[in-house]
Amino acid sequence: MKQTGLGIILYGILVIPPVKAYIESIMLLHMLVQLPLLILAGWFIGDMLIKKFHPFFTAWNTDGVPGMILVVFITMYWMLPRALDEAVSIYYIELFKFISLPFVGLFLRDSWKKMQTLGKSFIFLNYLSMFALMAWLYIDSPIQICNNYLETQQKVLGWGFLVITIWMILYLLQAVFTDHSEKAE
Amino acid sequence: MSKNWRNTTAIFLTVLLGCVLFYAGTDGFRAFTAESARTYKLLKDKPKFPDVTLEDSKGRVYSFSEFEGKYIMLTFIYTSCSDVCPKLEMNLAEVYSKVPKAWIGEDILFLSISFDPARDDVDTLEKYRKAFESDGETWRMARIADQAELDHLLEEFGVIVIPDGEGGFTHNSAFYLVDRKGYLAEVMDFTKIDEAANTVVTTLKNDTGE
Repeated sequence: MKQTGLGIILYGILVIPPVKAYIESIMLLHMLVQLPLLILAGWFIGDMLIKKFHPFFTAWNTDGVPGMILVVFITMYWMLPRALDEAVSIYYIELFKFISLPFVGLFLRDSWKKMQTLGKSFIFLNYLSMFALMAWLYIDSPIQICNNYLETQQKVLGWGFLVITIWMILYLLQAVFTDHSEKAE
Repeated sequence: MSKNWRNTTAIFLTVLLGCVLFYAGTDGFRAFTAESARTYKLLKDKPKFPDVTLEDSKGRVYSFSEFEGKYIMLTFIYTSCSDVCPKLEMNLAEVYSKVPKAWIGEDILFLSISFDPARDDVDTLEKYRKAFESDGETWRMARIADQAELDHLLEEFGVIVIPDGEGGFTHNSAFYLVDRKGYLAEVMDFTKIDEAANTVVTTLKNDTGE
């Protein structure tokens, strides 16, 4: 319950108009702060919802795969340069953002623990390559991809993605080279 | 993988839902950026060029409807722009030179519209005109002095102009072809000169029946 409250507060802060307007005025904050925080809010809120609707999740999301498919599709959609652009200029896309991303957090929470190591590794590597691609796209693009954001902001975002990619690689390396035998038992 | 039928059904449904999301979100896998979506939508809607009042580099003032009966090849610029606009105008000059002389002035006019009327007065436009060696007749440079008219036009044609805080603007660029009745006929990539010239020539050929 504590987590759910936290999630609702976080979501509440994110929808306050001045906060929303400020975050969305900077491309980096929009994509790498607002979107992940909305997912996090959903993750927290999921604490109660998953417990409450436990039979539903067990029946329809038994192995975590359906939930994860939704997570992948929705997050991939939000990585389209167009989606970010339209969220700023079209109200129903903005609305869709504030609804779909908390669901990502909710499904991620329910699915991740159910998935097997192979599935998890696949998802992790999938995102690693996707973030690397986004970094390359935004840093290297000679043209302005988004109509609502300047080219310099685009580059900053690209570097942001690169930092995330590097973190993920470092995480991967330490996971490969450290001993997990204790945990497995 | 399927532990029960519900889970399997859910997998199919989520994949389907995901595909629908992407199909709808990219206009059927055609437009991945807002700019391509804008072009796609413009070509579907074919908006009419609003009847704005233009003031050209010769100081003449007239309304856009005066061009009725001719195709108009358009660009949107501002003269103090240092990166995209000169490139845009240089490319427009090339397209101009590729269109057969017989049509120029008779069937088609070229027009560069400034969206910075405060700075782009008649003298500035005249300097800009000379810089690109346009004749000021069959290729005109003009501003729209009335801000409300200008905003309406930019909105209709999907031109997004953002002040960059240093006296410049960031804006999307393209070639626009407006037909004889004043409706948008084509939006072309300004970096592909040959393709744009071809489109213009083909359109005129079909129209004049030559």
